[in-house]
Amino acid sequence: MSLRRISATWKKLVLFIAIIGPGIITASIDNDASGITTYSVAGARYGNMLLWTLIPTTVALVVIQEMAARMGVVTGKGLADLIRENYGVKAAFFMMIILLVANFGTTVAEFAGWAASMELFGLSKYIMVPLGAFFIWILVIKGSYRVVERVLLGACLLYAGYVFSGFMAKPAWGEVLYSTFVPTIKAEPEFIMLSIAIIGTTITPWMQFYLQSSIAEKGIKKRDYRYSKLDVTAGCFITNIIAFFIIVTSAATLFPNGIRINNASEAALALKPFAGQYATVFFGISLANASILGAIIVPLATAYYICEAMGWEAGISKTFRQAPQFMWIYTALIVISALLVLAPGAPLVLLMVLSSVLNGILLPFVLVFALSLINNKRIMGGFVNSRIHNYISWATVITLTLLATAMLFMIILPEFSKP
Amino acid sequence: MPLFGELFVSELLKKPVLDPRGDELGMVKDFIVVKGEPLPRVSAIIIEEKKERYLLEWENVGIFNKRIISSKIYAGRLSRYDDSGEDLLIRRDIFDKQIVDANGAKIVRVNDVKLEGKDDYACVSGVDIGIRGLLRRLGIERRSENLYRLFGKTLPHNIISWNYIQPLEPRLSTISLTVPRQMISALHPSDIADIISEAPLDQGAALFNKLDPNVAAETLHELEPDIQKSIIDSLDKDYAPRIVERMPPDEAADLLADLESDKAREILESIEKEEAEDIQELLAHEEDTAGGLMTNQFISYPPGLTIQEALERFKLDAHEVETVYYIYITEGERLTGVTTLKDMLLHSPQMTLSGIMESKLKTVSPDADQQVVAEIISKYNLLALPVVDDEGDLLGIVTIDDIMDILLPTASRKKRRSV
Repeated sequence: MSLRRISATWKKLVLFIAIIGPGIITASIDNDASGITTYSVAGARYGNMLLWTLIPTTVALVVIQEMAARMGVVTGKGLADLIRENYGVKAAFFMMIILLVANFGTTVAEFAGWAASMELFGLSKYIMVPLGAFFIWILVIKGSYRVVERVLLGACLLYAGYVFSGFMAKPAWGEVLYSTFVPTIKAEPEFIMLSIAIIGTTITPWMQFYLQSSIAEKGIKKRDYRYSKLDVTAGCFITNIIAFFIIVTSAATLFPNGIRINNASEAALALKPFAGQYATVFFGISLANASILGAIIVPLATAYYICEAMGWEAGISKTFRQAPQFMWIYTALIVISALLVLAPGAPLVLLMVLSSVLNGILLPFVLVFALSLINNKRIMGGFVNSRIHNYISWATVITLTLLATAMLFMIILPEFSKP
Repeated sequence: MPLFGELFVSELLKKPVLDPRGDELGMVKDFIVVKGEPLPRVSAIIIEEKKERYLLEWENVGIFNKRIISSKIYAGRLSRYDDSGEDLLIRRDIFDKQIVDANGAKIVRVNDVKLEGKDDYACVSGVDIGIRGLLRRLGIERRSENLYRLFGKTLPHNIISWNYIQPLEPRLSTISLTVPRQMISALHPSDIADIISEAPLDQGAALFNKLDPNVAAETLHELEPDIQKSIIDSLDKDYAPRIVERMPPDEAADLLADLESDKAREILESIEKEEAEDIQELLAHEEDTAGGLMTNQFISYPPGLTIQEALERFKLDAHEVETVYYIYITEGERLTGVTTLKDMLLHSPQMTLSGIMESKLKTVSPDADQQVVAEIISKYNLLALPVVDDEGDLLGIVTIDDIMDILLPTASRKKRRSV
């Protein structure tokens, strides 16, 4: 048994790494094009002042993602499945419609991020967007799960680019640490809006669905749950560490020089004189990577949840004939988003605003459903929330709901108050 | 009891129930079903009035159709319904749940349940898994039908007869018949493996447990290592060895190598000694080499045997062996040649095996890489390739189906996953 024994030890290690995975992948995808934009704008506008918001964000993220992970491990089902099974067709259907539109907006944002990062490197978006869209599409239509997973894991590593550009920006570390642990609040609408946006862009409804499904699909057992918990917690920290470095980068370079930016690619470009050309390159590549990663995951995940909730066949290795709804939702999301980004005069901003509005509406529902599911003994058995856990969860959910509502008002009101 | 044709449960829910005077008793909330022959039948209607639930037994139902549901009992005389948790309710326990469509060999979701009148009873005759059921639940079946007609199309019906259903939820199994269980066993093991890998882990394991041991052994081989492991863990201590025993030794070895060492030892100790030795021997080789792939079940006879003698022995030996087309000729353990079943049948029975054997044959050493093995098998169009040690002793054979699994992993091995 000797040789097999050695490979069995290896397998245990691999198994351990296999369990730690969904949390970290989810975390990486969390910092997508719109997240990066928010962080760079926040850093450029207020320097290190908003860094402290990352700590409560991390706590909230851990609390709600842990619930998703626990439900995934205990029930072996995705959130869309559980909502359908316990709250019926109507709840599931309307939730999926909103999710579809919201995620459509997100997909457009990802393609816009991809287009902007390609133009940073002097590549025309009219060539790169169709190329990117085709690559993503063919990866899923023709590829197997194995290939897709490898591409994704490889892409996750590229996030390290932000850490490099953070160090290249040579921030004053003392000041950075001070701002991280000592909260500052400015009574300015823009300040409040940006701090809410940081939380809003980090905690999204689709992420809850995504995390729970990927944990359920991995078939992690109840006794291995602690590894999963560790994975999710690590993932939440990684998300916010990346966010931290993005804010630090633009705070150290753009903020002292009074440069205001509107999006992430402007941030990348503006870095050049202060942090050197490589910082721009790192930042640009990471943005391109985050965008394309998001552009794969968001449409794919959307197609999965809708098919799961509606009981349609789904799967990467299926064909158009076997899983028509799945394939068409995926294809349509990619094609329409890519075309919109290229179409001159398309209402991109409006669409992205709509997407964050819908996400803001959806989030409280998703969280309340999740909380009532996780307290249902019929479903969770002995894994229901403890009393203290419930207090923390409800406090988090209520805070997030209030913030989401506040964000909705801030987004909608300026739109309507325009002449 | 009134006769009626076919009804869908979703059309009856929330309908008022009238007493003989025409007073309203409340709304239809759910239906209790009990086991019946040949189909499960409705035993009572649960009525909801002002948040209280009442029970209306089937014997006391007057008119029962899409328009009117009436009771023979007067208002105020109904007994309260206490949910003991024992009853099986259509809306709560069947609606929106996943079931196995044994006819199409896949997992589907219940959109609606069809009732049919038979001998005064309302029987559950089928479940609607199609788009029509979905639209009916959303209350827009008629409108969608008109919309479809505008385009010259009709909405397809997609109803599975109750006889073809294998419930996944243990609660539901109490009213399933014995027929579906046999139907599942009648499916090809690859199809069963597909179903098990798509179902949530616990339910997949429950399904597996009901299989006939021979089917179970074949199904287990078709599953992905992760799922194999979970299923073996969930099996009874005495049952697991019985299934492993029925697997070909090379597949059993692959399975045991993936298990934790204690578990593997426990299984090895409780299976037949001879079988266990074969498996032990195979476990000594690295998994992706010829030694790891080979099976030690093959047919081999001494060269001096006549064809007639060989064929007689063949009839006894071939039961246990998977690949029987090649007959290897060995002196002691040493491999000297090979012949085929075809040659044996076509030559005169009096000839000896040494007279018809091919002595220039392709072999590999046990540590040859699996890729090399595949290349040799493909180049020389072999069905199996003998594995010999340095002394030329025949250790085992690698068969073409094991090589195929490496070159083209079957669909069921690529577990469905959301990325």
